[in-house]
Amino acid sequence: MLRDSQLPGGAWPARPGHRAGCWATSLASLAVFLHDGDCEPVRKGLNWLCSSWPAESGLWWRARTWFRPTANVAGQDSSLAGWSWTPGAASWVEPTAYSLLLLNTVPEDLLPRHATKRRRLGEAMLYNRMCPGGGWNSGNPLVYGVPGERRVGPTAWALLALRGYANRAENQQSLRWLEQAYHQIAGPASVALAGLCLRAYGRPQPGLEARLASLYEMNGFLGNIPAAALSLIALSPEQDCLFDDSGRRRSDP
Amino acid sequence: MSYAASQIIPSFQRPPSRVAIRRAASYSDPLAAVIQETVTGLGFEVRDKTILLKPNFVEPDPQGIVNTNPAVVGAAREAFLRLGARSVVVGEGPGHERDTEGIIETIRLRDYIGTLAANFVDLNLDDVTLTPLRTSASRLRELYFPRSVLAADIVVSMPKLKTHHWVGATLSLKNMFGIVPGSCYGWPKNVLHWAGISQSVLDINSTVRPDFAIVDGIVGMEGNGPIQGSAKFCGVLVMGSDPVAVDATCARIMGLAPERIDYLAKAATVLGHVAENRVLQAGETIDSVRTDFQVLQPFERLKTVHAEAQPRPT
Repeated sequence: MLRDSQLPGGAWPARPGHRAGCWATSLASLAVFLHDGDCEPVRKGLNWLCSSWPAESGLWWRARTWFRPTANVAGQDSSLAGWSWTPGAASWVEPTAYSLLLLNTVPEDLLPRHATKRRRLGEAMLYNRMCPGGGWNSGNPLVYGVPGERRVGPTAWALLALRGYANRAENQQSLRWLEQAYHQIAGPASVALAGLCLRAYGRPQPGLEARLASLYEMNGFLGNIPAAALSLIALSPEQDCLFDDSGRRRSDP
Repeated sequence: MSYAASQIIPSFQRPPSRVAIRRAASYSDPLAAVIQETVTGLGFEVRDKTILLKPNFVEPDPQGIVNTNPAVVGAAREAFLRLGARSVVVGEGPGHERDTEGIIETIRLRDYIGTLAANFVDLNLDDVTLTPLRTSASRLRELYFPRSVLAADIVVSMPKLKTHHWVGATLSLKNMFGIVPGSCYGWPKNVLHWAGISQSVLDINSTVRPDFAIVDGIVGMEGNGPIQGSAKFCGVLVMGSDPVAVDATCARIMGLAPERIDYLAKAATVLGHVAENRVLQAGETIDSVRTDFQVLQPFERLKTVHAEAQPRPT
């Protein structure tokens, strides 16, 4: 099904039959690569991703923020381009983290020409969007100077994408916040994702299976397939190889 | 009916709209009875209809100042069922937080509507249909919409009375951003921002115009809304079948001029009434419940009285 739904340009749509590529491209490419290592669809997916730039990196937007700095109420550095959810929109934390996970997983010889530059920019963008005190939200750490609330999902994805810099102060701060937040999480997708991330950083949380089972008992995950998939990955012993990029410790972006 | 019956009608061809303002001192008031009486009084027919309630659930919010209070959602559900609705489900697609279940469990929605699996649909993950938009205010020509919304006989928009740091105020029309599925457009649904928020509000509501609006104005939010503002007690529920007129009334209650809110000015041309002389108020008067909301500096221009009413310095 995944292979059949890839679009001719290399992107994947959000659902089979849809016409436009989007954020699903990085996760679909990663799944195809990890499942059977077929390189051609992955190469096409990577090419699409590395040639897709977010809207704020366009000349018009950069000129606008240069001439009208007050318009930039979120105070973000728009030269740090990550990835958008859909073409023509701005960079956000989660789609950037998904793309970095893919770039960090596939062998170097599959990567397109601009991949190294995009990876550096994406990593720098994530650190630029970190909330004061650690952790991430969807991508607005400050609006009108007020700090945004940190959220479990974006924090876990960003930490997974930045695992090559595990010892950086920002990673450690964010991990501390995630560990504290873990016990208050009320939704299964966030519990699974936080469990997965903390384990990837060598801080596995006891009782994850029982907690997910009790949440499933409560609402059947409301039929949420991504939540069920994340839960299964979080409980699988195979997860360790999913984020095993230990050979790729890197210098700071 | 919502999707099938949404029509672009110039406002001058629409009859005047009725909007009811009801006082409610707290969330433990008998809200279901208040809503039932108001819906009946406004002559809004729900018998044998399938109803989708669309609240504004944004973030896990233990303090209860960001989201539509679940007590109001539960009360609306109870009222519509008592009035003979065939089914009433609650549907929402939060714009920032992917873990919808985490939000609705944090606010204990289950205590008010019963089993979530049967009575709640996550609009971010629902099946979708590509739908042409009925106006072209934005560059978007079509959007995917959830089938649960398109199939409902009646859609009820249930926002919280809040200021908004991009558009001034978020009410029943802006609340409809939540029907746009995150699985297609992301968290946030940023494509709508790049296409123009006001323009997108018009295009979405021209295509799926809410049949009824119930605004939770018991405790609203002022300042840096819709998430980071401060709680503001206002003590009202505002209801009606013209969502534009309901929003205009809410703006006036907040001390804002609705015709200066860009998306309401646009909506006034084809979706409903903003002009005060085309809105028939029922229940309380605007002046008797008026509670001036603080807004961020860029939106001071929306305020109705402060500039005009204050004596000029001599």
